[in-house]
Amino acid sequence: MKAWLNFSPEIVNQAVISDLIKNFDITFNILKANITPKGGEMLIEIRGNQAQDGIEFLEGQGINLTPAKRVVKKDEEKCVDCGACVSLCPVSAITIDEGWKVELDDQKCIGCGFCTSSCPTRAIKLVD
Amino acid sequence: MKSIEEINQKIKDGDAVVVTAADMTRIVRDIGAEKAAKEVDVVTTGTFGAMCSSGAFLNFGHSDPPIKMARTYLNGVEAYSGLAAVDAYIGATQPHRDPKVGLEYGGSHLIEDLVRGEEVELLAEAYGTDCYPLKDIHTHIKLDDLNQAVMVNPRNSYQNYAAATNSSEETLHTYLGTLLPGMGNVTYSSAGELSPLLNDPFFETIGLGSRIFLCGTEGYILGEGTQHSTEVKRINGVPVGSAGTLMLKGDLKKMDVEFLRGATMPFYGPTLYVGVGIPIPVLNPKIAQQTGISDEEIKCLVYDYGVSRRSRPTILETNYHELKSGSVEIDGHEIQTSPMSSHRKASQVAEKLKDWIEGGTFLLTQPVEKVPSKGQTVKPLHIKRPSILVRDLKSSEPITTNPQDNINDVARLMVENNINHVPVVDNNGKLMGIVTSWDIAQAVAKEVQELTQVMTKKVIVAMEDEPVELIARRIDKYEISGVPIVDRDNLVKGMITAEDISRLVCSHQDKRGGY
Repeated sequence: MKAWLNFSPEIVNQAVISDLIKNFDITFNILKANITPKGGEMLIEIRGNQAQDGIEFLEGQGINLTPAKRVVKKDEEKCVDCGACVSLCPVSAITIDEGWKVELDDQKCIGCGFCTSSCPTRAIKLVD
Repeated sequence: MKSIEEINQKIKDGDAVVVTAADMTRIVRDIGAEKAAKEVDVVTTGTFGAMCSSGAFLNFGHSDPPIKMARTYLNGVEAYSGLAAVDAYIGATQPHRDPKVGLEYGGSHLIEDLVRGEEVELLAEAYGTDCYPLKDIHTHIKLDDLNQAVMVNPRNSYQNYAAATNSSEETLHTYLGTLLPGMGNVTYSSAGELSPLLNDPFFETIGLGSRIFLCGTEGYILGEGTQHSTEVKRINGVPVGSAGTLMLKGDLKKMDVEFLRGATMPFYGPTLYVGVGIPIPVLNPKIAQQTGISDEEIKCLVYDYGVSRRSRPTILETNYHELKSGSVEIDGHEIQTSPMSSHRKASQVAEKLKDWIEGGTFLLTQPVEKVPSKGQTVKPLHIKRPSILVRDLKSSEPITTNPQDNINDVARLMVENNINHVPVVDNNGKLMGIVTSWDIAQAVAKEVQELTQVMTKKVIVAMEDEPVELIARRIDKYEISGVPIVDRDNLVKGMITAEDISRLVCSHQDKRGGY
């Protein structure tokens, strides 16, 4: 699953993620992170046999976990299919079809927002 | 073999054979140029890309009492009005006058709103004369209210264009879009085999007076565009980089937002997406051969935009077949590509132009004067006062510290030398980090003993051969007060601070008598 982890200032100094990886049979991928001494957030993808146990461990450590639901949506009228976004997507959720139309796959999208800020016609928006 | 008059007669009779440049590539491959020249009469091309050098002349009509507009704003975007009394030129890249809106709404967006038929705010200021007494105007207008609204684009439809990547460690925002660090992506902008000037690479059929497709209506070529260049290396008959350009004209009142769109390249600025289609009359086998060019035959160089100089290093020679496949290979890595211009819209332009010609409503024209095909080069701008390089500014030996040094010693070093920044180097003199007087104050306040705990490890640096203007921008961008100077081996050569740059600017003003 993909989820946002919210770190409070109290736990920023603790090695929670390394404990998670050492103690559980999971694969863990950090897709986006912004951590400061005052807390922060991290977008992760967690998979494996013990993924659910791992999630419970994180929550037990005081990390607030919310499944990632933010995805991008395209305004078809505004989009001119220039493809500026295609090479920026870290998870290949944006593709160009045979007719050179730009397509977004919201199943793959992790809501990182890189395409929204780079769209010349502001045709892509993040939605919940 | 064929004349434009003969082709026009066929168009009027409904007998002309018209194909798009993409179809022509296949036709020439299948039956050869000789046969294709006999069978095909017209090849239509198309492109829909961000063309910054675009804009429109507007005539507002005279008010009562009349005004001689000196400054004109449309929806907050300034239009140049140093033209008689009520004429103005709105340029596509002009940003909004309000810095809070800034780049998000500019000339290109205003042009789109006008074409959409929307009402826009007109503000004009004047100094007042005996014949034009009115000093300001605040009203609202629509495109229909204007006497004339003529798009005149000084430079459109580049013959070919570079592709971009970025070897630096920071994300760059350029006119070729967002470039990810570490060569994370490649962007390109030409439509390749559909692109107008790549299908008539020596400008044999086009020039002043050629009727074309411009933003959904009929437009005309006024001649070569600014920065038109003919002396560019060619492979397979077409230039490998930006070469020919066109100056175009069309009636804004008849344009269609399907083929004209305001846009903003993030952190770069407003630009206008312009749809251009040029019909190429297939007069002989040579022209058939040229319009048969394929994406694979059109080469393109990928430049490193991580180097902010006029001459950027070439990273790769590729072609449009590869670029359009979605990725290119650089140093064994698959790098994703972004087209930046819309190939979908480009095809629609070529198809629409084909429909017009087949429908008998669009006739070809003989150019009054052809676009120059040789002897044109682009001259650089020489700055009379050359850039001062970092190495010219650097004075004394660098003052550095080692990671094992004690905080108190570093504090003493700063006080004794009256400096606020000390680069931290290893035993070979290579840069490891930097400490500022603020870091030392923090260390004292928090009772930290280790220098490595307070130093900044990811250091923004200056190279000795970089112009000082670049460093000033870097210091401003990262909100820092100084950067260490390093050589290619990361050896510390000195420091350059905001104070050094202020002093440099002041000393130059003194020499010129000050402001």
